[in-house]
Amino acid sequence: MVTQVSKRYGQTPILDRVDLTVHAGEIVALTGENGAGKTTLMRICAGLTRADSGRVTVSESIGYCPQSPSLFELLNADEHIVMFGRGIGLSRTAALARGNELLRELDFAAERNTVTTQMSGGTRQKLNLALALMADPGILLLDEPYQGFDRGTYVNFWDHCQTWAGQGKAIVVVTHMLAELDRVHRVVELSPHPLRPKVHR
Amino acid sequence: MKRVNRVLIMAEMHGRDLLRRHVALGLLMVLPASFYLSSVGTGRDAVSTGGVAMAFAVGGATLFSALSSVDVDQRLILGGYRPIELLLGRIAFLAPVAIVIAGAFTALMAGISHPSSPGVLLLGVTFVGLQSVPFGIAIASIVPRELEGTLVLIGVVGIQLAVQPDSTVAKALPFYGARRLIEESLVGHGPLAGPILQIALYGTALLIIARIFIGSRLAVTSHQPT
Repeated sequence: MVTQVSKRYGQTPILDRVDLTVHAGEIVALTGENGAGKTTLMRICAGLTRADSGRVTVSESIGYCPQSPSLFELLNADEHIVMFGRGIGLSRTAALARGNELLRELDFAAERNTVTTQMSGGTRQKLNLALALMADPGILLLDEPYQGFDRGTYVNFWDHCQTWAGQGKAIVVVTHMLAELDRVHRVVELSPHPLRPKVHR
Repeated sequence: MKRVNRVLIMAEMHGRDLLRRHVALGLLMVLPASFYLSSVGTGRDAVSTGGVAMAFAVGGATLFSALSSVDVDQRLILGGYRPIELLLGRIAFLAPVAIVIAGAFTALMAGISHPSSPGVLLLGVTFVGLQSVPFGIAIASIVPRELEGTLVLIGVVGIQLAVQPDSTVAKALPFYGARRLIEESLVGHGPLAGPILQIALYGTALLIIARIFIGSRLAVTSHQPT
């Protein structure tokens, strides 16, 4: 739950008293023009950026998939999986089992020893998404997670969202893909001026 | 135990990442060697210059390692790591690298310049390498980007090389103690405890600075439960 969150970068106001509530099992699409503050709001919700005022409360652990993959350039998928798995207390074997299951679900196609700089943008993004899911979080914050996906994977991504929502996860997806908005439960638009969300349906 | 495992896995992953950067690895050796070899004809100052120049290589590698992974570090903290574990993981990999480079580089300088005390030379050069790790991390934790960090690194190490070894400015810089050890190795006498104490104090101060600033730079807010 986001309550009256505001954020400025220098003199530029980005978010102005934004409220947003997402329930378990709900998929919310966060839309808005470039510069409306979507990524900033997601980062505040994830805890990576501090809001100037307002507060965020959560009932579950958070999984965050950033817009551009935050990965080590010269590590491969398995190495990333082991590293992120260790953060949540998984052994090497358990982390690989969990991570590879997620990668299979997302049709990850790279060779095991391919490092991230040699992966295509879409493949890198699948790894990025799988890492966000490693801890089986109750809240998923996905910032345009499908960039570089081919058409089939893109359609599958929305199927996955519905599966995850069915498992009780609360999901927020930053998206510009208005054609897919019928696949979410609610659309929230962030407007640059004034910076207040408007609920469309 | 979990903490140790997380530190070790970070050390392993930093190692895997750096060991795949073959050109960078070559430059880690070539850079200080080129300082030394280009001035070897000028006398014993070459050993001191080459030894301290190792700070460019190891400090630069540390700086890059820390600054290029701020985003992934923050994500790892969101995923359960603590800033101190990321810091220690980086040190756990880079410190042995510094020792290996120092060993090879000392062998090169000892073979050409014949210091009176090769053991003290090894100690001095190793301390330059080890001190470069917290030095690079401290810079990376304070400055925002690679360019600024590189300029600070060049500035500090450059001044250390340029000033008279016993000047007041030299004593205030991080590699003063290690440089003194290197110079002691050439004449073969003099106290070692003072320089080693200076190195230890400076290294500790750099690590404290790094810990404080990394904590704030990589901070992840834990939201209140509903």
